[in-house]
Amino acid sequence: MEKESSVFKKGLFAGLVGGILFATAGSMAYFLSFSDVSHASFVFRSFFDGEWTTGWIAESISIVITGIIGVIPALIYYLLFKKLRGMMPGLIYGIALWFIVFGLLNPLFSYVPDLFSLNMDTIATTMSQFILYGVFIGYTISYEHHDQRFMRKVSQNN
Amino acid sequence: MRLFMSNDELKIKSSITENRKIFEDKLGLDVSFDIGYRTIIVLGKEVDFYYVNGLVDTEFVTEILKKVIEINDFEENENKVPEIVKNRLANHQFEEIQSVDDAATEIMSGLLVVLVDGKDKAFVVDVRNYPGRGPEEPDTERVVRGSRDGFTENIIENAGLTRRRVRDENLRLEIMQVGRRSKMDVSIMYIDDIADPGLIETVRSEIEKIDVDGLSMSDKTLEEFILNQAKTPFPLVRYTERPDVASAHLFEGHVLVMVDTSPSVMITPTTYFHHVQHAEEFRQVPFIGTFVRWVRFLGILASLFLLPLWLLFVLEPDRLPENLAYIGPSDEGNVPIVVQALLADLGLEFLRIAAIHTPTAVSTALGLIAAVLIGEIAIEVGLFTPEIILYVAIAAVGSYATPSYELSVANKIARMALVILTASFGVLGLVLGMTLYALILTRTYSLNTPYLWPLIPFNAKAMYNILFRVSVPIQERRPSIVHPQDDKRTGSGPDSE
Repeated sequence: MEKESSVFKKGLFAGLVGGILFATAGSMAYFLSFSDVSHASFVFRSFFDGEWTTGWIAESISIVITGIIGVIPALIYYLLFKKLRGMMPGLIYGIALWFIVFGLLNPLFSYVPDLFSLNMDTIATTMSQFILYGVFIGYTISYEHHDQRFMRKVSQNN
Repeated sequence: MRLFMSNDELKIKSSITENRKIFEDKLGLDVSFDIGYRTIIVLGKEVDFYYVNGLVDTEFVTEILKKVIEINDFEENENKVPEIVKNRLANHQFEEIQSVDDAATEIMSGLLVVLVDGKDKAFVVDVRNYPGRGPEEPDTERVVRGSRDGFTENIIENAGLTRRRVRDENLRLEIMQVGRRSKMDVSIMYIDDIADPGLIETVRSEIEKIDVDGLSMSDKTLEEFILNQAKTPFPLVRYTERPDVASAHLFEGHVLVMVDTSPSVMITPTTYFHHVQHAEEFRQVPFIGTFVRWVRFLGILASLFLLPLWLLFVLEPDRLPENLAYIGPSDEGNVPIVVQALLADLGLEFLRIAAIHTPTAVSTALGLIAAVLIGEIAIEVGLFTPEIILYVAIAAVGSYATPSYELSVANKIARMALVILTASFGVLGLVLGMTLYALILTRTYSLNTPYLWPLIPFNAKAMYNILFRVSVPIQERRPSIVHPQDDKRTGSGPDSE
C-alpha cells in the first residue's frame, strides 16, 4: 500500500486545491457583494493602488496566490493535528484561521477593515469560506492518515 | 409467530397418515384454495405431493406425476418404494429434508414436496415458476444505445442477468432469508478477490441482525435496516435496475444487495457522487460524456441554488453588479415574493406527486390544466410575476436532470430551506445555509464511507474521474473508497492471471 509520505503529499495538495476552490467561492461572493473583502484585498489591494486591483485579472491571479498560500495551513495541520478524527477539528481549525487572519494579522493589511468594523454579512461569508477550507484540509488529512492505518491493520490480519 | 419460533423442531414421521395430519394443520390445506395436495398409489404404498398452485410449473408437475405413476408399470420391488420414487423424480434440483418446518417453507416457496409412506424424509423437487415479467428497459435509467435489459422481480433471473456479464468464477452470490414470516430471499453479490472483506462482513452481519416479520417493501425496507437512515433526507444507497451498471460496480469492488421481488439492486457503499452519474454518460464518447455530465452538474447546482440566489437579488437589488442589474421583476406583484416562490415550488410538487399516480389516460389533461393554471392564469390574476415562473421552472428542470430520483427530492427540500433562510436573513441566511448544506453532507456516512468523498475528504484522482468521464482503458485503478483487495484494472496484475 501507499506510504505515509503520500499522506503528506496529498495533504499539501489538498491545501492547494482547497485554497483555490474557496478563493474562487470568495471571488464570486465579492463580485456579488456578499462580502466587502476578498482574498485580493489581502494580496493586492492592501499593498498596491490602482484601478487594476479591483479587476478580474487581479482577482484571478490572487486566486492562484491564495491557493499557494493555502498549502501552509495544510502543512501545519498535518504536523500538529493529523491524528484527530472526523470533521469537527477541521471546522474549529477553520474558525481559528479566520481569527488569525482577520484578528491578529489585520494590522498588516491596510485595505481590510478591522475586526469590529466588519459587517455581519462579510463576517459570515468569509467565516464560511474559512470553515469549509478547514474542514476540507482537516478531514482530508485525517481521513488519509487513518485510512492508511486501517489498511495496514487489515493486511496484517490476512 | 408461534409456529416459526418453536425450538423443538418437528421431524417428518415415517407414517404417512401422521404426516398428512401435521401438514393439514400447518399449511391450512382445507382453508387455502391455492395449496394443492395429491395422493398417488405406487406399488400399494401411498405417495403424497404438496405444492402451491400459483408458484409451480404445471407442466413439470404433471411430468413428474406421470413418471411416478409409471412406476406401477415397470417396477415390482415393493420393499424399495421410497428409493424407486426418488430415482424417478426426474429433475436436476433435488433435495432430501427431515424437518417439517423446512418442508413447509419449501412448499411455500413453490417447490414440490413428496412424502412416501414408510420414509421419514421428504423429497423436495424444484419446479418453481414464479409469476413475473420478462426483462425490460428500466424507466428511470434509459440510454440511447446499449443493452435494453433490466432487472426483474425475480432474484434468480437477476442473478442470471449479472452472471451473463461477469463470468468470473470469483463472483459470489450469497443467499439468506430475511423476515420471520415473509422469508424473503436476500442475496449479497461481490467478486471475492476484489471486494473488501470488511465491507462484505459488515453488510452480511447487518442483514443477519434483521429481526422483523416481513420485508413488504423489499429492498427499501432492507435499506432502512442496514443504514439507520432516519436522520438524513439524503439517499444513502444508490439503486440500479440495469445489469450493466450493476456489473460495472462489481468490477469496481462494490458489494451489491439484491432482494427477491424487487428489480432494484442496492449498491454499497454509496457516496453523493454516485447519485450524479448516469449510464448514458458511459455509452457516449468520453468527450460527450463529460459534456453531458457537466451540464448535469449545472442542472443540479441550479436546482439547489438558483432560486434562493435570485430571491436574494430581488430582496436586495443593490447587491447586483451593474451588468446583471436587469435581473429581478419590474413589478413585484401583490403577494410577497418569497411566498410566491414557495407557492410556485409547492405547486410544482403537487404536480409531480399527482403525476406519479395519475393514470396515463388522464395525465395529458393534468398537464394541460397545470400548465394553463400555473403558467398563465396565475400571472393574469396577479398571483405570480412572470419571472418567478422562469426561475422555479429552471430549478424544477434541474431537479429532473438529477439522475437519482431520491437525490432530486432531497435537494428540493434543501432548496426550500435555503429559500426560507434567504428570505429571513438575507445574505447571512443564504451563505450559512449553503455552508450548512455542505457540512451536513460531510457529516453523513453511508456504511462508514464519507458521503462527500472524493470532494471532502479530497481524493484528486477520484475527483478527476467524477469531473471528467474518463475512457475505460485509462482507468487503471479501482476507486480507493471501496478498499479493493486488488486495485489494478488493466495490465498485468492478479486480475490477468
